[in-house]
Amino acid sequence: MSLSPEVVAELERIVGAGGLVLTAEGRMTYECDMHTFYKGAPDAVTLPVRAEQVQAIVRVCRTARVPIVPRGSGTGLIGGAMAPQGGVMVAMNRMAAILEVDLPHRTATVQPGLINLWLSDAVRERGWFFAPDPSSQMVSSIGGNVSTNAGGPHCLKYGITTNHVLGLEMVTGHGDLVRLGGKTVDRPGYDLTGAAVGSEGTFGLVTAVTVRLTHLPEAVKTVLAAFRTVVEASETVSAIIASGMVPAALEMLDEAIISAINAGTGAGYPEGAGAVLLIELDGPRPEVEAQAERAAAMCRERGSLSVSVARDETERALLWKGRKEAAGAVGRLTAAYLLQDAVVPRSKLPQIMREMVAIGERYRLRIANVFHAGDGNLHPMICYDDRRPEELERAKEANEELLRACIALGGSVTGEHGNGLDKSKNLPLQYAEADLNFMYRLRGVFDPDRLMNPGKLLPSHPACGEGFRPQRPVLPAGTWV
Amino acid sequence: MSVTARAFGGALAAIVGPGGATESPTACAAAAVDGREPRWVARPRTLDEVARIVALAHDETLAVVLRGSGAAQALGAPPERVDVVLDLGGLDTILEHNPEDMTATVQAGVTAGALAARLAPHRQTLPLDPPGWTTRTLGGIAAAAASGPVRLRYGTMRDLLLGVRFVQADGVMTWGGARVVKSVTGYDIPKLLVGSLGTLAVIGELTLRLHPLPEAEATCFIPVGSLEAAQELTASLVDSTLQPSRLELLDAAALAASGLPSATAGLVISFGTVEPAVRAQQAMVAARAARAQTRVETMGPGFWTTYDRMLARTGVTALRVSVTAPRLAPTLAEARAALSEARSMVATACAPLGLLRLAVGPGEPAMLAGAIERLRAFVAADEGSVVIERGSTALRSSVDPWGPVPAPALALMRGLKQEFDPRRTLNPGRFVDGI
Repeated sequence: MSLSPEVVAELERIVGAGGLVLTAEGRMTYECDMHTFYKGAPDAVTLPVRAEQVQAIVRVCRTARVPIVPRGSGTGLIGGAMAPQGGVMVAMNRMAAILEVDLPHRTATVQPGLINLWLSDAVRERGWFFAPDPSSQMVSSIGGNVSTNAGGPHCLKYGITTNHVLGLEMVTGHGDLVRLGGKTVDRPGYDLTGAAVGSEGTFGLVTAVTVRLTHLPEAVKTVLAAFRTVVEASETVSAIIASGMVPAALEMLDEAIISAINAGTGAGYPEGAGAVLLIELDGPRPEVEAQAERAAAMCRERGSLSVSVARDETERALLWKGRKEAAGAVGRLTAAYLLQDAVVPRSKLPQIMREMVAIGERYRLRIANVFHAGDGNLHPMICYDDRRPEELERAKEANEELLRACIALGGSVTGEHGNGLDKSKNLPLQYAEADLNFMYRLRGVFDPDRLMNPGKLLPSHPACGEGFRPQRPVLPAGTWV
Repeated sequence: MSVTARAFGGALAAIVGPGGATESPTACAAAAVDGREPRWVARPRTLDEVARIVALAHDETLAVVLRGSGAAQALGAPPERVDVVLDLGGLDTILEHNPEDMTATVQAGVTAGALAARLAPHRQTLPLDPPGWTTRTLGGIAAAAASGPVRLRYGTMRDLLLGVRFVQADGVMTWGGARVVKSVTGYDIPKLLVGSLGTLAVIGELTLRLHPLPEAEATCFIPVGSLEAAQELTASLVDSTLQPSRLELLDAAALAASGLPSATAGLVISFGTVEPAVRAQQAMVAARAARAQTRVETMGPGFWTTYDRMLARTGVTALRVSVTAPRLAPTLAEARAALSEARSMVATACAPLGLLRLAVGPGEPAMLAGAIERLRAFVAADEGSVVIERGSTALRSSVDPWGPVPAPALALMRGLKQEFDPRRTLNPGRFVDGI
């Protein structure tokens, strides 16, 4: 679709010519997020600086029945901040201010375009940080984190984005500027904040976020252990958790990733290691020391090839180096891959890892894994050669089979990346028609015209359409005559 | 279209069996909610029975009022209609506990105490301790978003409910969330239902995230000379690397009611972790207390049981006042002034969160209502709230038990009720603004 001259004029009146991108080259920059497989450039990109402008944009689009797509830094992995149906994109990059820091009450209120790490940077010297730490935190925006309900390595202990969001200001699909929740806890009424976090722009556009800040821990200790097999490492993960500690992070790298990293900068992982476990503990110093020792002992008891405990910040950074380079190192393995974000119950890790190997062999594809083992959140990268369309088809089938296996074990389609265009189609694996229909209706309460980020989060499915009636219980016969 | 009352009773009996439903006057009188007697009381044993009862009532435009343990029946406004009291206490099966995954799935009528007993041998816990928690049902705790002192460390039901099976107002069985500890698939339905007081759906099953029981635990009491000093000391403890499980502020009356040494005010703080870390944190607290010219006393392990009993039983009226943490002392001073005519007042707070609990003794409803409105005006600048957590029918009829909700957010809340319960089948009139 293309926009009418009237709509373009209205948008320019709202954000000014400098806040409007209309050229083909300019719009191309916004055609995809980090899931470059899905492309869709908006018809116009607006760069508002104030909530009132966002509201005015939504009202103009609503009147003209034009789709509205929000975007932060565009670092999502799901085909979220892109415009498959065209329409107007609202890029939040110029709304990136910290509006308030209230340390005595442990909260901060920020604009959605603020880079995640910048908030922690602003309060770290005074002893505080913003706990959600997606791997993209150096570039991803807090508005984007809220939109996808982002996780990160340290959410094993600290929880994901939603556990740290107290309030939102947003422009709903009605075109209203509303404040949900706020600095004080336990506000009367439905938890609209909780419902809106993770709604991926389908309820509206977030214009401010109030978050809880966390005090920096007294001590941090990192342990790295190498194992012969992923299964051995997975069993150690279960044992560590069962022993009653909650590590801040519990990450695993498999053989494919380890060799790719070793071939590159070389984090010095032992040759022949089939899995590397990275265990981080934080908290009061005596707690961290006791637990790090215990975790290291458990790794040794379970036959680890090597165990290193970082003695200082430099050594800690070295142990994390490989993990942080993992995604880049995959580039040495393959030109293209499909990335999954499925979750299995932690106790099913050994089983799913075995199944994954089998699936890889069956489809003759390499599957590399670097993932959040502590909460069972897998990130299999199914590698394929993008010059061979047949391989992509095979990769898609392997992807689907692996996803089904995770769900069959009681898992979930996505643990922290979100649904977007990519994973929405998989929702029917996890949810029945009545469940999908409930979600469809929930979205309609916030966005009756369904113009907010259309095509994302919910699948194209009869249960996500008008007039669908889920099955009701059977009532006793004979009482109605 | 409508069936007779006799036919409805027959249908109920057909669903739950003769013992599962009653219309006896004694039973209905005993089940009255805010003086309104139901025409039937049903106690289903399965979620399928719940769904069929709700569907039946929905089709007949009858009002269903939900009940777990009954602990939160005096939360919210009196219901506008009561036809069926749906007692969910019979749904008392712990369906699953996966110690390795640290998750459990329970029916809504399982009490927090029953689950704790099941988890204890595995040294695991569901860290939720609203007043009187051992006998309260988990479905009720979720519906009321009830919380207690340990929320400081573990959050509330909002942070622990992973998945939920629920019955919509027309009887449709629905599932939201996941069975694993981390999921963002679809919308976060569990959060929508926590705190919705049964006005959108009936919570039937809960999948919960568990935590390890700490190896060692210690509790310290710190007497303080004034409320302001208590707040200052709280601020100093919060701005540190301490990781307390609880940090409660008590006024003089609360100290007396909890059997603590008398003082103008006091803090009670607890730590749960490995033994050496518990001791180190206690030492840190002692150092900060000394700097604040006071001392620390170590309490026995039974203190929190005493404190829980005190919170659950004290006060005819219980108010929950939420402000920002630095406004706690001034808000409490205002509350004292506003409630000076009440026979007694016991104040406690989860101080770092700015969450104040006021347990108020007998007083005229009109006086109490006036005091609540005065307090609401006082906290408005701080975007605070004053909610009646427990109070007489007369009081909750004369003053809005929830207080104001800003208009644009309220429009969305009304929209939710209209979408999911247009016939007002579930708990009609009890929630904010008469939802």
